[in-house]
Amino acid sequence: MAELQSTLFQLAGGLRFTVGIFFLTLLFSIPLGLIVARGRMSKNKILAGVVRIYISVMRGTPLMLQLLLVYFGPYYVFGVKLADLDVGPFKYRFVATIIGFSLNYAAYFAEIFRGGIQSMPVGQYEAAQILGFSRMQTFFRIILPQVIKRVLPSVTNEVITLVKDTSLAQVLAVTEMFTMAKNLASTQVSVMPFIAAGAFYYIMNGVIEIVMTRAEKSMSYYS
Amino acid sequence: MGVLEMKDICKSFDSLKVLKGIDLEVKKGEVVAIIGPSGGGKSTLLRCATTLEHIDSGSIVIAGETLVKTSSSGLTQYTDKKTLQDIRGKFGLVFQNFNLFPHFSVRRNITESLVHVHKKSRDEADAICDALLEKFDLTSKADAYPCNLSGGQQQRVSIARALAVNPEILFFDEPTSALDPELTSGVLKVIRELAKEKMTMVIVTHEMSFARDVADKIVFMDGGVIVEQGADVISNPHNERTREFLSKF
Repeated sequence: MAELQSTLFQLAGGLRFTVGIFFLTLLFSIPLGLIVARGRMSKNKILAGVVRIYISVMRGTPLMLQLLLVYFGPYYVFGVKLADLDVGPFKYRFVATIIGFSLNYAAYFAEIFRGGIQSMPVGQYEAAQILGFSRMQTFFRIILPQVIKRVLPSVTNEVITLVKDTSLAQVLAVTEMFTMAKNLASTQVSVMPFIAAGAFYYIMNGVIEIVMTRAEKSMSYYS
Repeated sequence: MGVLEMKDICKSFDSLKVLKGIDLEVKKGEVVAIIGPSGGGKSTLLRCATTLEHIDSGSIVIAGETLVKTSSSGLTQYTDKKTLQDIRGKFGLVFQNFNLFPHFSVRRNITESLVHVHKKSRDEADAICDALLEKFDLTSKADAYPCNLSGGQQQRVSIARALAVNPEILFFDEPTSALDPELTSGVLKVIRELAKEKMTMVIVTHEMSFARDVADKIVFMDGGVIVEQGADVISNPHNERTREFLSKF
């Protein structure tokens, strides 16, 4: 019993990093995804082409590999000491995790947003133009709110995947929950820590499902 | 001087010539109906007048402001952004499929541009909105969303939205084509009332009897040209092509 208690306590310690990676990734990747989506739809063929390659590479290679590249890249390519890259209290291994996750998830979000934006009927743009709305007003007042409603189910999918993907941070030795569970399992010679960690992930995603369902409901007043 | 003056308008989509030198003048208080077969250029003409399409050559003057002109050297030039914005405040357009903003209530559909484009206060905008809703018998629908309205109600809301900025001219692009006959009559009634109030209007329509009743001038378009125009084109067509078209109704 005491062992279970200590297991849960240590996993909860790792949970800080798991939750941290989760929220910081969403914070950066969603706005970045919107910008990438706009770039992908740009009339400038060079910009659109570059963005297209970016999305293709991000989606076409393992996130684990991308994390390792972001982490070790500065040292192997530029000879920078990794300790010099710490940001305030955050070790570079954590910063690199956030960068890697954000770049990767931005690519997925970008494609979801692009699909949503391109599914908007052209009449909405025309009505806005006739009424005198600027391009910025049209996007933020007319188009984006409707796009959010349309993409919410796909975004929920990505967000749930992100919760589970946080476990990949173990490759950079970030002591998030999965790393803790693995260490505990090997010292205790028991699968209990894995089961407990699984329960934590499941509960997190349960909360996300409830929140996203509510968000969808709050936008169901129109169709 | 007309509220709308279009001269020698030419417009092609790739190699397809859709408008081949159209001249159209609409005077203040006049109601002009544009009729003709599909693909004849009616909607394109309307879209050019309302800045949704750019013309290849010709000139358009709306409410005394030059939207676009072709110089003697053949260069077609649109006005600057600021004037364009000015001009857009002087006309309204009612679409065939309404194009209301589905995420806004009826009230916000009507007031949004008043507040955020024309910088009126919320109270002013609400007052304008309430007056229009009462006029169109929609007062009880102020807080409803477009998806909860019938097609006829949606189209009346979209007419109210177009009228909110007090435009000098109102364009209609087949305003009843998406409606069943029962709903059509309600929308046509609203347009008839506007005609009585001497609202300047250009209406692309397939409703021949309505066009004959309400329009001061009827324009028959086919093949990218105006075949015939006048007050009695429908009751007394002179051109063979016009007669052939009208005989199908």
